[in-house]
Amino acid sequence: MQKSLERIKQMVIKEFIQILRDKRMKAIVFVVPVLQTLVFGFAVTTDVNNIPTAIMDLDHSFESRELVRRFASSGYFSIMATPTTPGDVREMLDRAAVSVALQINRGFSADLKKGIPAPIQVIADGTDSNTTTVAMDYAGRIIKKYSQDLAGPEVRSSARVDVRQRAWYNPELKSKNYNVPGVIAMVIMLTSLLLTSMAVVREREMGTMEQLMVTPLKPVELILGKTIPFAIIAFLDMTLITVLGVLMFRIPINGPLWLLPLSTAIYLLSVLGIGLFVSTVAKTQQQALMASFLFYMPAILLSGFMFPIENMPVIFQYLTYANPLRYFLVIIRGIFLKGNGFGILWPQMLSLFILGAAVLILSALRFRKRLG
Amino acid sequence: MKLLRIKAITKKEILQIWRDPLSLAMAFLMPVLLLFIFGYAITLDVNKLTTIVYDADQSSISRELTAELTASGYFTIVRAAENQREIDTYLDAGKARVAVSIPVDFAKTIASGGMAQLQVLVDGSDSNTATIALGYLSALMDIYGQRVTGGRSSPLIDSRVRVWYNPELKSRNFIIPGLIAVIMMVIAALLTSLTFAREWERGTMEQLIATPAKPPEVVLGKLIPYFLIGSIDMIISVLMAVFLFEVPLKGNVLILAVISSVFLFGALGLGIVISIVAKSQLVASQVAMVATFLPAFLLSGFMFAISNMPLPLQWFSRLIPARYFVTVLKGIFLKGNPVRILVFDAIFLLFFAVIVFIVANGKFRKKMV
Amino acid sequence: MPGQGARSSVLVNSTIAVSVRHLTRAFGDFIAVDHISLEVARGEIFGFLGPNGAGKSTTIKMLCGLLMPTRGSGTVDGYDIITGSEEIKQNIGYMSQKFSLYDDLTVEENINFFSGVYTVPEPKKEARKEWALEMAGLSDKRGALTKTLPGGYKQRLALGCAILHEPPILFLDEPTSGVDPISRRNFWNMIYEMARAGTTVFVTTHYMDEADYCDRLALIYRGKIIAEGAPNELRKNYMTRDVLEIEADHLVEAMEILEKQGIETAVFGSLLHATVEDAKAAVPVIYKTLGESNIMVRRVDKIVPSLEDVFVTLIEKA
Repeated sequence: MQKSLERIKQMVIKEFIQILRDKRMKAIVFVVPVLQTLVFGFAVTTDVNNIPTAIMDLDHSFESRELVRRFASSGYFSIMATPTTPGDVREMLDRAAVSVALQINRGFSADLKKGIPAPIQVIADGTDSNTTTVAMDYAGRIIKKYSQDLAGPEVRSSARVDVRQRAWYNPELKSKNYNVPGVIAMVIMLTSLLLTSMAVVREREMGTMEQLMVTPLKPVELILGKTIPFAIIAFLDMTLITVLGVLMFRIPINGPLWLLPLSTAIYLLSVLGIGLFVSTVAKTQQQALMASFLFYMPAILLSGFMFPIENMPVIFQYLTYANPLRYFLVIIRGIFLKGNGFGILWPQMLSLFILGAAVLILSALRFRKRLG
Repeated sequence: MKLLRIKAITKKEILQIWRDPLSLAMAFLMPVLLLFIFGYAITLDVNKLTTIVYDADQSSISRELTAELTASGYFTIVRAAENQREIDTYLDAGKARVAVSIPVDFAKTIASGGMAQLQVLVDGSDSNTATIALGYLSALMDIYGQRVTGGRSSPLIDSRVRVWYNPELKSRNFIIPGLIAVIMMVIAALLTSLTFAREWERGTMEQLIATPAKPPEVVLGKLIPYFLIGSIDMIISVLMAVFLFEVPLKGNVLILAVISSVFLFGALGLGIVISIVAKSQLVASQVAMVATFLPAFLLSGFMFAISNMPLPLQWFSRLIPARYFVTVLKGIFLKGNPVRILVFDAIFLLFFAVIVFIVANGKFRKKMV
Repeated sequence: MPGQGARSSVLVNSTIAVSVRHLTRAFGDFIAVDHISLEVARGEIFGFLGPNGAGKSTTIKMLCGLLMPTRGSGTVDGYDIITGSEEIKQNIGYMSQKFSLYDDLTVEENINFFSGVYTVPEPKKEARKEWALEMAGLSDKRGALTKTLPGGYKQRLALGCAILHEPPILFLDEPTSGVDPISRRNFWNMIYEMARAGTTVFVTTHYMDEADYCDRLALIYRGKIIAEGAPNELRKNYMTRDVLEIEADHLVEAMEILEKQGIETAVFGSLLHATVEDAKAAVPVIYKTLGESNIMVRRVDKIVPSLEDVFVTLIEKA
């Protein structure tokens, strides 16, 4: 047993030396997660604001200008241009210089004074349907509010329904709160999966695998030696991202902190297992890279990371049960945003554990077979 | 530059690719897989929102409201709660994303002309879905509210909203054209980022640089086979988009082909630069992921509107070729844009391709160490 | 015309194929090649001998334009190794230490590749290919994947690929490493043929017994040339003393005892080589000294010093 641990230790050390000897790898291991966190925190926002807008005000009245002012100061619309002809408006939308155009025709103010409904055109570029839906909603609200304000207080007095809306867990609806914890899952998968599979195959490609097999090293020890370093790196990444998320993005951590490393460890069972599996299929590093990616992409997309699982067709929803990322995301978001504890999360953790153990064992068995 | 040399290098590279059928198969499988997932599985269209309703009033009005929710098609009522606490439980456990609480005196308050209050809670952790859900709700409530309170004079401002290019707002039409840009970038990264590094690791690069082969000849020789593969992937993607997913293709196919080729050249070139500089396959693969795939996926405007991002990132996205290609793709597919409008983006892509090629030649030293 | 400036007109038709002066290469603090100067005549087989790590590969790489010298200068085929490295590559053949062929290509495909890269003119292509296949003994194996070939064949194939374009100078870096002795012998026969046909061959090796195959040698140790000349010259000039071959038990012990007596001794396989001023006087001394320590001596013979002996002596002097 003693000797076994010693051999494993040696392998882990060797692996670390090999990886970190290359200065660039050192940078990559730490820079990549940070970069991803920053990008995901800042870029991946479905929060809609600053929509480039074009305003064509042909009326130039007090009322039309007031409406325009409300649009401009709403924070949702960013007035990019004031075209003067419908042709120009078309051009801007075609070129994607703006996503929304507001067209106020001559006679707007006159109609209002006469008490006739004054028409306004809101044109939205539907290519980004997501932004469009939200944009139209915002535009509609601004217009409605202005309309009510114009109508005056008398009309507003009678009975109506007052809807109080609140968003729980993420009251300001900041998408970064949603995304950044998920980045932990993503980064770990990308880095650990890729590194594990490529590190093993690299040994094979370079011919040193044979050399290892001639030693008293047992297959289990080899496996542990090859996976432990990347598990350690994964934990480092997890810590790095969490710290960055909390300090820079002020993501709340409402749940018990100790669950985080525990769940990460369970998650790693799957990730490393898959990495190991890929290494048994790939003969070259090129193949390892492509196979890892071929798994990684669907795993990310069909995990609930960016796209809610409930909206997917039923078949795909079933598929996600085999995706470790799915469970881990629920756990992570639960811990960060919802303040969920072990009591609520244990089913997820158990499922993740079973999945991970199964994958790892199967891969390890396959790995042993290939060695022998 | 000698054509004969380029031919020899291209032929060798093709033979090597051919003898690695697994990688080749994966190179063709990738776009199909991604398109499948994005076309069928993923949708940003928000509907079937799991909703829990606590109707304390149980009046005909409150039941009508609940029916309205279901009828809209956006909300799927998973539970009629029996008390307020159930709402908390459901939201916490994620069993419902929306919760509507109708107070016990709802109908009475309305009948007496007072202001009835409705409480709506939305799970904000997915802010996107939440925002849209709130939007639907407010629209629904507006209409319902008016009906219930006996209608009122029509609003003074009659806003007519029109949606251009993608009138049904099918998110698929929005996602798939941009996806093609991402696919191309990914393929380029995966295929070319290892090619130089591999030869360094195997020792054949040493032999190659001892020959009279010049850097442009080697770079081109290695690029051409992957260009062929990338082009095939491009064709597969466009065919799938148009015939399988029925994304409209309103613009000129020839222009699409030309601009795609320019983009592909640049993308492959970038992969090659990474491969030359990295010299180790492990490093190259990591850098490629971060430098090609991630920017293309996140910062190109393919899925996440650039205008929503903080300013520094918006400027940074101007450096990403995928951004321009996404604009071109959306322009050609959904808007039917003519060359006149596409020209600016196309020129940037050309620029990028040329610069990347020059950098590749500069970085490829025919020396060891 | 490109490259004209880099070529010294004086040396274009000269009889010198390779010349270097004070060639130096440092890697950080480590000086791999330390001020080497030498000349190789056209048509010569020049051997660069030394143990591993002596600087052979580094030198040959500088000559082929694969590495930049830290200091010093040189010309290959009249072209400057610093400014004319690309021209040099047109006119030489190079075989790297790992015989870098493309393992996933067939024998024929490898030949076609190098043929194309060296732009062997169309009319000659087929002929050169057949010649290379013939020389390597792979005519009926042309469709075999290179990775399936045994070491000896790979070696000959690599050589063939290096000379498809009939270069005037050939650089071979440890071409016989890890190859069986019979293949090694055959390989050298091929090199002889080429030299006779006028090709200059610059070879590095750590096999001392291959030294006799060369016209001239340079012995390199720790980056410096410690001896230079034809094999027999080296033997004559550097071995002023006699060498005795001793067969005895307890080799290491025996060696230590003799050393204590002031007799230079080294282990050569299962024998001892002792270098002495006068063989006749030394023989009885050896018998007596070893006998006193109860070591059985089976024989002591005077032998012709091998280059290895020369080398060992020189190293000990250095």
